[in-house]
Amino acid sequence: MSSRSLDMRNRDTFSGYHPVINLFYFVLVLAFSMVLMHPVCLCISLTAALCCSLTLGGKKSVRGSLLLLLPMALVAAAVNVLFNHEGATILAYLPSGNPLTLESIIYGFSAAVMLSALVLWFLCFSQVMTSDKLVYLFGRIIPALSLVISMTLRFVPKFKAQFKVVADAQKCAGRPIDEGKTLQRIKHAVTVFSIMVTWSLENGIETADSMKSRGYGLPGRSAFSIYTFDKRDKKALLWLTFCAVTMIYGTASGKFTWQFYPVMRGMPLNGFVLVLYLVDLALGMTPVFLHWQEERNWKKLQEAEA
Amino acid sequence: MKRFLWLVPALLLLLTACGSKEELTETCTISISCATLLDNMEQVPEEKTELVPADGWLLRETQVKFAEGESVFDVLQRVTREHKIHMEYSDTPMYNSAYIEGIGNLYEFDCGSGSGWQYSVNDWFPNYGCSGYALEDGDVIEWVYTCSMGKDVGGYVQQEP
Repeated sequence: MSSRSLDMRNRDTFSGYHPVINLFYFVLVLAFSMVLMHPVCLCISLTAALCCSLTLGGKKSVRGSLLLLLPMALVAAAVNVLFNHEGATILAYLPSGNPLTLESIIYGFSAAVMLSALVLWFLCFSQVMTSDKLVYLFGRIIPALSLVISMTLRFVPKFKAQFKVVADAQKCAGRPIDEGKTLQRIKHAVTVFSIMVTWSLENGIETADSMKSRGYGLPGRSAFSIYTFDKRDKKALLWLTFCAVTMIYGTASGKFTWQFYPVMRGMPLNGFVLVLYLVDLALGMTPVFLHWQEERNWKKLQEAEA
Repeated sequence: MKRFLWLVPALLLLLTACGSKEELTETCTISISCATLLDNMEQVPEEKTELVPADGWLLRETQVKFAEGESVFDVLQRVTREHKIHMEYSDTPMYNSAYIEGIGNLYEFDCGSGSGWQYSVNDWFPNYGCSGYALEDGDVIEWVYTCSMGKDVGGYVQQEP
């Protein structure tokens, strides 16, 4: 990851919440984007994704990804039309002889909208969930595995650096590995390799002793984390849970079902369904709303001070 | 004047293209039926049940004209376009065989794993694709939807083990 992960340039409000809230939000939004193949839900998802990426990333990054998205979406729509000929409304006949149906065009567009929404959501995800947040989260869930992974990741560059040191030292001692006859070079490389093996084993023992002396593995050992779960996070958790429960209920009770073939049909628009759509939109726009609220408070405070 | 010289071959090409439409001299009878679905409605997916006509006929027996040398597939394609019936097929040029996947949005496997479209000419079910059957004057083509690999319509062919 770039230096963005460590400097606090990402100053929008939503990134300041506890990582669990961030992860919960993205899991919900991504799951609903992928599962609900309903035109209204997909449009809501795309709109929310656009607004969120504008708020979190700024116009530049969105413009860059839109340039990639639009052709991809058009290709997806066109591919569906070329390969899928089901549908009751025949508009024309393709050169291959199969019919061009309205339903396949609309399905293609819906798939394109879903693809675009997902790409934008992943863009938002990469901007909010920095590497330190991910390490923190997965360290809480699987501490042993995340420790092993972080140690492995630490070891690889260390090994490379030490290899260079040893190779240079051997070169100075008259045993270069990058020049000379091939057989000689192989012999010298084997020497360097055997030195590296010895060094790795010794390094491992040193690391183990150091960790043991600092109390790794003792029961009750805690880890420092900069993230606290405060009242603001509690309120956000309640809101996200409410949205999740409502949407899951809507999906399970079939309110979000929509058939594309052979005829397009779905639930008729009644009050409850409208409420569900609004909840979906509110869920998606949560970061935007939170950011806007903070900006407004900040401006008020600045004006009060002046 | 010389710059219009390209028009001459272009016009000739256009005329020959128009003129190459074959004369539809011969007549045959064609019908499309999905009556077997009416006996197995519980297996049909919900959104397709309304596509099955109450009497099972997607196209009653009609007389159609065709040109000499045309196949069952050419006639089917022309008839479905004329009567605005949906028809999807996939063409395998290597074997010169067209496979009819669906007529009227009723597709293969919509009624179980042994369901699909079969055709018979003069009460005989050919064992090959419809684009390989050259029609003769007076032939009677019947397209039927089977729910059990042809056993319910008389077109079952024992597969060699």
